[in-house]
Amino acid sequence: MDKLKLRQICFLFAAVLPAAKLLIYPSTLSYYAKNDLLLSAALNFLLEGAVIALVMLLAQKTRGTFFSLLQNTFGQAAARAVYLLLALFLLASAVLPMLEQKNFVTQVLYENVPSVLSFIPFFAVCAFACTKGLKALGRIADIALPVFAVSVAVLLLLAAPHADLGALQPPGAAGARGIFTGTLFSLPWYTECLFPLLLLGHFDHERGAAWKVLLSFAAGAGAVLLFLALFYGIFAELTILTQYPLAHIAKYTTVFTTLGRADFLFIFAVALVCIFCLCIPLQLCVHCVREAFPSVPPAAPAVAVSAVLLILSVLLNYSFNAVQTLCMRYAFPAYLLFAYALPALSLLLHKTPPQAKARQNGRRRKKNSEAAALRQARRREKRRSKELL
Amino acid sequence: MKKLLTWALLVAAGALVLLFFSNDFGLIDIQKTAIVAAIGIDASAEQEGQWSVTAQIAVPDSGAGKASNVTIPAAETVGAGIAEVNRKTGWYPTLVHCRLILLGEEVAKEDVFEVLGYFLRSEYVEDSCLVAVCAGTAQETLGAASPVGELTALAITKVLSSEAQKTGLVCVTNLQNFAKGYYSRAKSGYLPLLSLKKEAEGEGASGGGSSGGEQGGGQSGEKKTADVFDASETVLFYKGKRAAVLSPAETLAFNLAVTATDFAFGEVQAEENGAPATYSLKMKVTKKARSLSLKEDTPVLTFHIRANAQVADTSGASALDAVARKAIVPEPVLRAAERELEKQLTAVLEKAAESGCDLFGMKQALLRSRPQDYDALAPTLLQTARAVYDIRFGTLH
Repeated sequence: MDKLKLRQICFLFAAVLPAAKLLIYPSTLSYYAKNDLLLSAALNFLLEGAVIALVMLLAQKTRGTFFSLLQNTFGQAAARAVYLLLALFLLASAVLPMLEQKNFVTQVLYENVPSVLSFIPFFAVCAFACTKGLKALGRIADIALPVFAVSVAVLLLLAAPHADLGALQPPGAAGARGIFTGTLFSLPWYTECLFPLLLLGHFDHERGAAWKVLLSFAAGAGAVLLFLALFYGIFAELTILTQYPLAHIAKYTTVFTTLGRADFLFIFAVALVCIFCLCIPLQLCVHCVREAFPSVPPAAPAVAVSAVLLILSVLLNYSFNAVQTLCMRYAFPAYLLFAYALPALSLLLHKTPPQAKARQNGRRRKKNSEAAALRQARRREKRRSKELL
Repeated sequence: MKKLLTWALLVAAGALVLLFFSNDFGLIDIQKTAIVAAIGIDASAEQEGQWSVTAQIAVPDSGAGKASNVTIPAAETVGAGIAEVNRKTGWYPTLVHCRLILLGEEVAKEDVFEVLGYFLRSEYVEDSCLVAVCAGTAQETLGAASPVGELTALAITKVLSSEAQKTGLVCVTNLQNFAKGYYSRAKSGYLPLLSLKKEAEGEGASGGGSSGGEQGGGQSGEKKTADVFDASETVLFYKGKRAAVLSPAETLAFNLAVTATDFAFGEVQAEENGAPATYSLKMKVTKKARSLSLKEDTPVLTFHIRANAQVADTSGASALDAVARKAIVPEPVLRAAERELEKQLTAVLEKAAESGCDLFGMKQALLRSRPQDYDALAPTLLQTARAVYDIRFGTLH
């Protein structure tokens, strides 16, 4: 019932998850990595790609869910504990993107800063999406692909003539420290390698599934890298002043001087995809709670998660910088543990449940003893025939 | 119960959608809003070290197209000056539509980013807004009678438009490009120098200005002398301070060699039938490139320019067949045009070297192509660089 098509997972990586990296991430990255932002981002993508490849390898070996693998290895109680921790991590990791998205909507899409209430509809949408389970996630991916592909392509085409890609030279100017700091502090925007692990067992395995997912991921990564390159090409030293490049990258097109900011049509469309993208960790958070406690109705965790985020959005309305600093500078071990180490180590989990294993072992033992008895009987017969001769 | 819940959900969704898309609660009364079309900044005459801020406002409640200038004579910062516009007039100044920042002559003598920093910090000022230095004060310039419409700022932005840039008459710069130059390693940039010329006569011209927070509107419908603006000179900046000024001919040469000028008019002195004559040429630039290389440890800046020319006019009377064959420019005139461009570019390079302004982006080119040599060569690069010209003019077919 709660199943996705492999196509939808591919669409998620190609066209939904990259949208979250087009808001404040480029200017934040350029602060640390300067003109080497592409190297820094490429490192993040390589790390994520490696983890996704490992999870897809695991998907080839088992048809079970991550919860069942944990159950097979550590028992149900431990599996529930890990899933609750994962739910907490997913909820916490959604706070920064939520504030980022809220600031984007209120600062860029409104001429004057509106009331905090203007972002409330998001939480209603989020609660609704969370009650619908993983199926809704698949539909989100289906809808988002054409919207994202067309909008980002138009924005990039409008921006390209104004970009001086020479500004990215000379490579390595920020030094190894700048590049690696950029990579490490970018982890809050690179948590999606955890998602396939939670979707394990919820999609039909196809031939070449790993390649399809990895190629989709590469396509999304390519779009983000191209966006980063054009962004630096246009703003160069001023990148750190341009907080939301998505809203500014295409505005220098001459045609807009007479037409007005027609590029906002496409910016709105990408903002819509960002809303979907923001729902995904929360949908997975609710999914984790429901996997751990299947008797809980979906509405309860969905409403709880949305309510917690709503309260945080009001409480942290003026604390975006503090939250960003906390997530980037101090919380990176948590991101490394949950989004990278956990999926990578999941390859070591038992693929079959203990009872089935015992049954398998029993069958194997019985088979072995039968074969040994047969061998002994043959030997005895041989010996007897020799004695007779 | 289920029906009630569905209705409640529908009503809640409707209310939220209304809230999300209308933002009626965040709107500001248009009658109390001052739409600032341009900001002028001068050194304060009243208080040393302070700024005089002039805001040209398009007034929404006093009929079509009225303009009003509000001047704050002394403010510690530009931000404080703009805030005072609100305090003294009761108008809430919105800078979203500000398309021009005008700096007074005195402001350019110090680091102009002391005042431009406000606009970089503000989320509401578009970084694509035009920046210019004016001869005299910005208050006077913004108070001039506009030859087109009521807003002087509108007339100035026409002079500084991208179309003017394409014809090579003006070196147009916006806030983003100027700030990029200032914050780059070269710390260099350029701005057009706007001067007021009381020449034109027009109908409906207006001018208005007041100080101390009072506003003055313009009158319309009467025939009076209007002012016109000239921005054919260019001010070079180094470390944010005015370093040199390019003449109109040098500005044109710089535009032909570097900026987005692809169709320009220029005058060339040549001989016609043994007598000196002036040729007005219409030029179409087909290629412009420059490269920096090192030859025996000497930096060499090479200009590659290809252009086609057509005779637009001559100073003397020409034979009928010469008038008919306007597309064919005599060879001596083409060579004279090449020499003229080379001469002007040499003059520009000399001015740039003397002032320290890296007008041709040589330091940037060095950093990108030979980062290992940057520290050794950059300090004297402008003075030691040798220019090589590869300029060819042909006829426009």
